[in-house]
Amino acid sequence: MPESLSPVTAQMPRAKLAGLLLFFLGPAVVIYSLFSIYPLVATMALSTYTSDPSGARSFVGLANFQTLLGDALWSKPFWNALGNNLIFFTVHMCVQNPVGIALAGLLSLPRVRLKGFYRTVMFLPTMLSVVIVGFSWNLILSPLWGVASGALKAVGLGSLFAPWLGLESSALVTLSLISVWQFVGIPMMLIYAALLNIPEELIDAARVDGLGQLRIFFHIKLPLVLPTISLVSVLTFVANFNAFDLIYSVKGALAGPNFATDILGTFFYRTFFGNQLQLGNPTMGAAVATVMFFIILLGLCLYLFLVQRRIRRYAF
Amino acid sequence: MANLRIEQLNKRYGATTVLNDVNLSIEDGEFVVLVGPSGCGKSTLLRMIAGLDGASGGDIHIAGKLVNTLAPAERGIAMVFQSYALYPHMNVRKNMTFGLKFTGVPPTERERRVAEAARMLRLEELLERYPRDLSGGQRQRVAIGRAIVREPEVFLFDEPLSNLDAALRVSTRVEIANLHRLLKSTIVYVTHDQVEAMTLADRIVVMNKGRIEQVGKPLDLYYEPANLFVAGFIGSPAMNFFEAKVESIEGGRARVTGAAFRGLDVAAASLSVGDTLTVGVRPEHLVRGEAGAFAAEGIVELVERLGEASFAYLRRVDGRMFVAEVRGRQTPAPGETVTLVAASPDVHIFDASGLRVATGTR
Repeated sequence: MPESLSPVTAQMPRAKLAGLLLFFLGPAVVIYSLFSIYPLVATMALSTYTSDPSGARSFVGLANFQTLLGDALWSKPFWNALGNNLIFFTVHMCVQNPVGIALAGLLSLPRVRLKGFYRTVMFLPTMLSVVIVGFSWNLILSPLWGVASGALKAVGLGSLFAPWLGLESSALVTLSLISVWQFVGIPMMLIYAALLNIPEELIDAARVDGLGQLRIFFHIKLPLVLPTISLVSVLTFVANFNAFDLIYSVKGALAGPNFATDILGTFFYRTFFGNQLQLGNPTMGAAVATVMFFIILLGLCLYLFLVQRRIRRYAF
Repeated sequence: MANLRIEQLNKRYGATTVLNDVNLSIEDGEFVVLVGPSGCGKSTLLRMIAGLDGASGGDIHIAGKLVNTLAPAERGIAMVFQSYALYPHMNVRKNMTFGLKFTGVPPTERERRVAEAARMLRLEELLERYPRDLSGGQRQRVAIGRAIVREPEVFLFDEPLSNLDAALRVSTRVEIANLHRLLKSTIVYVTHDQVEAMTLADRIVVMNKGRIEQVGKPLDLYYEPANLFVAGFIGSPAMNFFEAKVESIEGGRARVTGAAFRGLDVAAASLSVGDTLTVGVRPEHLVRGEAGAFAAEGIVELVERLGEASFAYLRRVDGRMFVAEVRGRQTPAPGETVTLVAASPDVHIFDASGLRVATGTR
């Protein structure tokens, strides 16, 4: 018996201990394996096969990955999607999270009226369906009947209007900002909750020390919610590299114009299911999915080893 | 160091009045303790002096300067919080210098002050440590150090000992008293613990329901409580109270009688026949015997032996309980009927509104 067992379990008959383990750990292991481990392993296995036109599958080792990264026909859209995905992520990190932090900071100020109202309103888009959000913004930004051009004209900025969603140069950033608009409530809520956790007396002490609200935010509150901010960053990273729905609902699977808004999710979709003239290719799709998995895994490992270990949580 | 003057201070939250016309004058270098039951407004008063809470009315002067509209840092105060409120992400040195950075104290001066405070509070070894690595007592000393380096006109302490264990509380209490002797600074100290109040204070301010009940030296409050509240609040176990009436007045002496004690003669002073009174006697002033200005009888129900004294809990004639302190080895046995007497200087008389009646006995 290993020493780590408690005296109670150490004296237990082996069969009884096994029964207990099965009873308490069994259900979680079964459910997790069935719905998480098995699909992952199956996808990875599928990515090592190829299928001929008759549908018969044969093992090819890592050839699919060689094609994906080496054949220009595959690698060009792949790198394009990965690059776009990085831009998508960067916009979220640079806009969504700072804005979320700022909103949370404002909400946590003393003597803000209608706190509950603002909190709810800013969280509301998060609860909307992505399809509705995509459709609405498509209409709002439409150069034909959208309200955006009229609204800009009304304040004398009509010349600034452009069909942002239709231009190769601006479509991706516009979509990123739509996503930011929808999901800014999540970092706001998480950071707001962390800010509420900071004891009132600590803020009072800072006030006695002569700090104004802005300095209190940057010198006291922000360092103390860093763990939450890093958590939000990880959530953003995972969500962004798995994103698909907003692009699909606004631009369709072709992620136009000219693949300017193509990200890994849409690239995977076209590969796996096929689209228009492109035939679906489940084995290549599985290879794309596996690469996506490893990209996210790599990001998470970098985070865990470089960031997480240096961050300290404070008990108050 | 400076004096502190509070005039007609009020604090209301909507319909609830937290502080009601508080007037208080604190001398330069005085150690004043605000004491009272929870919710009496003592912490609110301290926070208002600090500038952390605004007033609904009234003025606060620190060192002769009206500070009503000044921010906390501009008032010349430093505050020690109940939870210590150390910045968890800064080491002890940074905790102490952090505020000074923003009030324009040059780095060399900051270092000098930290070194001095650290020496005074025996923190030299701990300067590079973080609050999480400190014990409760050490954190408390850092919190006091952070206050000292500000070199304030007035120190404010908000229940600083309530998070410490009993032994540490006693030693820290002594340290705070020493510190006051050393710094000769003006201190306002809030506590709900009357032992802290009695031991530390030059003057005690007893508060209740947003009002000041009495201000005075510790022993004045003990020997001459101004009203029933102070009489019951100061002293442990609390003073015994007996309902009484003025039966007759003859030759400047009033005869006071009640169901639970033998009649009592006091100077008539402002009393008149038929007045309802409360007679108060502290447990430690009751002794066994027959002769005394005040005498009450009771059946012993319980005896608590503390060592230096024992407390006898007695059932009186009217069915209520009273407590007497018994010295020595001979304690009464439960079931025994005992007569306890007190000398007239130790008998307190309060009128129907609860105010002390001057009976000229002291």
